[in-house]
Amino acid sequence: MVHFVNVTMAYGSHIVIDKLNLHVEEGQLVVLIGPSGCGKTTTLQLINRLIKPTEGDILVNRQNIKNVDPVELRRKVGYVIQEIGLFPHMTIKQNIEIVPRLLGWDEERKAARTEELIQLVNLDRKYLKRYPSELSGGQQQRIGLLRALAVEPPIILMDEPFGALDPITRESLQNEIVALQKRLKKTIVFVTHDMDEAIKIADRIVLMKDGKIVQAAASKELLSNPANEFVEQFIGRHRLYSGKADTVADVMSDEIVCAEKTLSLIEAVALMRHKKVPGLFVIDDTKKLQGKVSIEQIRKSELSEQDALETIGIEQICPAFENQSAREVFDRMEAEKIDALPVVDEANTVIGVVTRSSIVRSLAEVVWGNQS
Amino acid sequence: MSNILPAMLSHLRITFLGVLAAVILGLPTAAFLIRHDKLRKMLFIIVDAIQTVPSLAMLTFVMLIFGLNDTTVIVAIFLYSLFPVLRNTYVGLASVDKGTIRAGKGIGMTDLQIFSMIRFPLAAPMILTGIRLSIVSALGLATTGVFIGAGGLGMLIWRGIQTRNMGMMMSGAVPVFLLAILFEYVIGLFEKQLNKRQRRSIS
Repeated sequence: MVHFVNVTMAYGSHIVIDKLNLHVEEGQLVVLIGPSGCGKTTTLQLINRLIKPTEGDILVNRQNIKNVDPVELRRKVGYVIQEIGLFPHMTIKQNIEIVPRLLGWDEERKAARTEELIQLVNLDRKYLKRYPSELSGGQQQRIGLLRALAVEPPIILMDEPFGALDPITRESLQNEIVALQKRLKKTIVFVTHDMDEAIKIADRIVLMKDGKIVQAAASKELLSNPANEFVEQFIGRHRLYSGKADTVADVMSDEIVCAEKTLSLIEAVALMRHKKVPGLFVIDDTKKLQGKVSIEQIRKSELSEQDALETIGIEQICPAFENQSAREVFDRMEAEKIDALPVVDEANTVIGVVTRSSIVRSLAEVVWGNQS
Repeated sequence: MSNILPAMLSHLRITFLGVLAAVILGLPTAAFLIRHDKLRKMLFIIVDAIQTVPSLAMLTFVMLIFGLNDTTVIVAIFLYSLFPVLRNTYVGLASVDKGTIRAGKGIGMTDLQIFSMIRFPLAAPMILTGIRLSIVSALGLATTGVFIGAGGLGMLIWRGIQTRNMGMMMSGAVPVFLLAILFEYVIGLFEKQLNKRQRRSIS
């Protein structure tokens, strides 16, 4: 829908946009984000020719915009800005109908479209006769959005539209955009410097710096595979720690409660009580896994307290292997309702344990990042 | 008393022609100055300088060109009116919120539409203030026209003074006073009406 082909924009020797190539697909909501001065707003304004590129071509709907009258172009591309820019001397109705008026629609068609629009966002009809100054900032920007949607442009440009609103209003408008986009499937180019906002609404995030694209990807991809340190820094706390929970070795804990098979039953019970566990993993003198015993087993047995653990009949168990996938082990623990599994290396030596709490911990890391 | 009405009409004619000329020339000039900063600074120096010339001196200068008649007073009023009309119109047009202009451009208004649909309507109260100030001071200035043989209410005042005729003097002074109050009030009312919705948007 929107193609940038080797676009450069410079004021004299100061390069604002540097050989930019970008493709915005139809029906996608693409967010341009980056530190101030990265060229994101300039990129946006190149699309409706508020700024002319120094070099390169921009295609909107397969048409090179060099060959389109800028006024015509702008009437076909919705535009929403941070300053909102409603016309203070016009009523809300007149504001919504301004582009249809510029295009010379008749009264009937304008009225019908306005009716559709106010139903789209559940706007109370009483507002139509009011002036912008009588509305709150959030309400004003909803009108700004309707004004942009009025002639059903396939493309909408939004330049930090919620930047000047308070956090609560901003959030509700973000939700509204997401809901509207689901129904309308517009091609939207959205500029922001707020990563939360980008993650919330974007189909694709384009991170820019010094007039260049550093990384363009779906938000999940960007967060889990930042292209370089700059991206990592910019996304900061939003980073997904995937790849950290790939193998059992990544998630296991070394706080395993083991007992040598020669240990007496009374000592084994004391150990369980001390460690507050209902069972023990049994090993031999070279730390090779033998199996496990539970407190139940010991209670039911008729052996004397001084007998060794091995005489009770150790239950064989299939351990987790250190290089096995963590996911596989989690699935098995879930399916077989196992609370803890010993982890062994290739030589069957016990090196750690995977418990239900290790699952929770690694999930938490994915969600909130590695705090430790 | 029967000569009050003709004198008043003549007084109004002089006042309005002078201010009207200033408006006709001032509005387009102010619109042009939005994009020509250097010219604006120069022009404003000249207009400011005109404003400082005392009225009798001004009438004398203008009289040298236009002679002893109404035209001289009209031209003097025109020159004095340039300052409030030009300055207020310029400030009104130039101080329209940048975001509003940007939005207009962004949704596809032509330069002419930005002017006629945004800038001018939003500057209207300010322009009206300039016109009001011009009219009220021109009503006063027109009375001095009597010194160079022009008509108007000034003649009644002057004759009244010369003949120590208090009634005649008042028959000139009271209408001037009432006209000034009337215009001040009526135009002010319009301004208020126009300002109402815009003021709220500023706050």
